[in-house]
Amino acid sequence: MSIVLPSQPHCHRALDTLLHRCDGVVAAMFALRDGRSYAERFRSTLPVNKFAAMSSSLVALSNSVLREIASDALNYLLIEGDAHKLVLCKVAGSKSPLILSIMAKHEINLGLVLGLAKMCAKEVMEAEPTESARATQTV
Amino acid sequence: MNEVYKIVFMGAPGSGKTTCIAALSDIPPVSTDVPCTDALQETKDTTTVALDYGELRLDGDNGRLLLYGLPGQSRFSYMFDVVRTGLFGAIVLVDASSEGAIDGLAETLETYREDLASIPLVVAINKSDGPSHALGLRCQQALHAHGLVAPVTTMDARRRDDVVQLFEVLLTLLEFGFDHPGKGRAT
Repeated sequence: MSIVLPSQPHCHRALDTLLHRCDGVVAAMFALRDGRSYAERFRSTLPVNKFAAMSSSLVALSNSVLREIASDALNYLLIEGDAHKLVLCKVAGSKSPLILSIMAKHEINLGLVLGLAKMCAKEVMEAEPTESARATQTV
Repeated sequence: MNEVYKIVFMGAPGSGKTTCIAALSDIPPVSTDVPCTDALQETKDTTTVALDYGELRLDGDNGRLLLYGLPGQSRFSYMFDVVRTGLFGAIVLVDASSEGAIDGLAETLETYREDLASIPLVVAINKSDGPSHALGLRCQQALHAHGLVAPVTTMDARRRDDVVQLFEVLLTLLEFGFDHPGKGRAT
């Protein structure tokens, strides 16, 4: 079974745009649903593999909670700490296996981070898939 | 007695953890499987990325087993932190039908060596057509290489009796050698 992905350069461009739009975003990543990074842009050093795997676990667990408790489906996952906000969302609307994870400084408005996440996901979603290959060959 | 015992199933991807919990659970199991995107899709469609959860009521008034399954890939090793508290014991599954059975076991032991050294542990050879003496011996060697000691047995992870038997082995190990905060009671 092949999976269709937007090109990695396209994902990187979308992430660059996102970081350019907001200085308070410290990290942004497109992770594959099974926990591997596909494209990432960080302002500082972060554990890429762990961030990707944890993004996948959080989204899957949130999906399960909503499904089990409320027969609902996940749109966004918001995590707020003392110093940072984390927003995770699925890149939906296609067969895309991507998750978008954004980490921002705590002082950044949550609505702004959500808006940026929406725009970034939409940009990648609407891209013509330029690769129709096994993810193993591209990651 | 109406105790609650929390046990965790571990092992390489495809060793049967999700199938085991789905087959045994008295409640609809909670699953966090997603479609694979890597080479694993050659052998299976989906993989666990957070955890599986199910419950099994022991016969009579002997309590319940809370069944947790962890992802097989080492990149998800942090999920052990989620299940660690009150853990009664671990069952590491080995896929006898896989050419990489021992490599898979070795990776699991390498990833969780410190955690596994502190709780009752059983290695269970799954998907076996019959007695697997040679594979059992290699499992023992892998355990030894990682400084671990545990019984190695053959089981059908879909059979309730087999899992209850493993639980009894864990109980025996606990009674005769282990003493940890999770003894006999999940939190």
